[in-house]
Amino acid sequence: MANLIAKNIEMYFDDRQLFTIDRLQLSEGKTIHLQGDNGSGKTSLMKLLAGLLKPSRGTITAEGFAPLPWWRSNPLLGKAVYLHQHPYLFDGSVEYNLRYPHAFSAMSASDLNKRTLAAIEMAQLTHLCQQAASSLSGGERQRLAIARAWIMRPKLLMLDEPTSNMDKYSQQLVLTMISELQEFGTGMLISSHQACVLTSLCNQTWMIKDRAIISSPASVNPSHTAPINIQDSQYVIAN
Amino acid sequence: MNEGWLALLQQALSLLFSLDPEVWSIVSVSFSVSFAALVITLLPSLILGFVLAFGRFPGRWLITNLIQTLQSIPTVVIGLLVYLMLTRMGPLGDLKWLFTQKGMILGQMLICAPVLIAMSQAAFTSVDRRAWETSRTLGASWLRSIWTLCRELKVPLLMAIVAGFSRILTEVGCSMMVGGNIADVTRNIPTAIALETSKGDFSQAIALGLVLLILSLVLNFTLGILRGKAEPRSH
Repeated sequence: MANLIAKNIEMYFDDRQLFTIDRLQLSEGKTIHLQGDNGSGKTSLMKLLAGLLKPSRGTITAEGFAPLPWWRSNPLLGKAVYLHQHPYLFDGSVEYNLRYPHAFSAMSASDLNKRTLAAIEMAQLTHLCQQAASSLSGGERQRLAIARAWIMRPKLLMLDEPTSNMDKYSQQLVLTMISELQEFGTGMLISSHQACVLTSLCNQTWMIKDRAIISSPASVNPSHTAPINIQDSQYVIAN
Repeated sequence: MNEGWLALLQQALSLLFSLDPEVWSIVSVSFSVSFAALVITLLPSLILGFVLAFGRFPGRWLITNLIQTLQSIPTVVIGLLVYLMLTRMGPLGDLKWLFTQKGMILGQMLICAPVLIAMSQAAFTSVDRRAWETSRTLGASWLRSIWTLCRELKVPLLMAIVAGFSRILTEVGCSMMVGGNIADVTRNIPTAIALETSKGDFSQAIALGLVLLILSLVLNFTLGILRGKAEPRSH
């Protein structure tokens, strides 16, 4: 089973401490709702786990992934796919963007092609395939970015405010793709201020509060949640 | 007076269109030397521009400012430096590159590199960081991600390449000092124009000047077309 394990993490932005973590684990098969106020460090936490940021102190290790070739110096990059709140689409057509990660996948070319066609269908992008990605609306961009990640079938996926630009129709399309990944066993971390169509899939909540990360079952109102003892949960860990 | 000008222009065009071997030999030396200097310098300069834009290491500020200063150093000073290095008593004297095309290429590399590094650094600095992060998180290697950024920045990077190539193709000082302006060997367009003008043979100077002018028009119109197609991105 693929895991990302963060230990003894301290994260600062300039001189401001964002959060500390004693131990935190993101595992395959779990879907976690990440909550916290603006500026509490939700995006930083996701980028740390994705290997896009380095912690001010502490270590993050990856378990259960294929060994990396010797020239890949950062052992975390490419393990968990991170989707920005405002996803970046490369200069080119919608199809170019969907095919961009093909070269980095371990799947066979025919599987990738099948999944690409399925993703186009699921995200309702068929009529936009040859259009420049830069001309898409906010919701279409989000759908394209999620479809691009869906094709890869990652073991771990992090979605930063994924439904912020979406109408109900787009949310429904994305829900189908994310549910499919959940069934496959992809571990997901979904940040969202409010409950949305995707947070209903979550079976765990991480809440960043008072520079600590509190873990609890998703059904519990996070604002009333006390920090969980490390013995009780494989996820918690705060201060 | 006007008739004199027209006659000179006519002679210049005749030299070009009659494929005058002397004129086209000069054009050939110019292009082969400058093109070689550009090709050798291009990749390391782009990588250094990337490292200076994205890297955070001690001395980055100093290197950035040194490279920007090198852009404005007169080519004749770089020519003097390369001359001193390549002269028999110099540290690279054993290479015997003085008054050869290899020596000219070395000099032009030193002129071209600061332009390429500074302009590519500026381009990489302006890129949306999410382009890099998206490429990396989707599993692209470091090198592949740099290539992706280059693709995203194709217009400003092409502008850097054109600026670098224009600077070395038109510089006189370094080519004159290091190359020695030897006919059919190291005589390029700028040194030939300087020589023919001093001799009063304006027709050949005008013919060579026209080649540079046409090249400049072609390069800039090509860039203009590319720029015109590049629509502002909304992220």
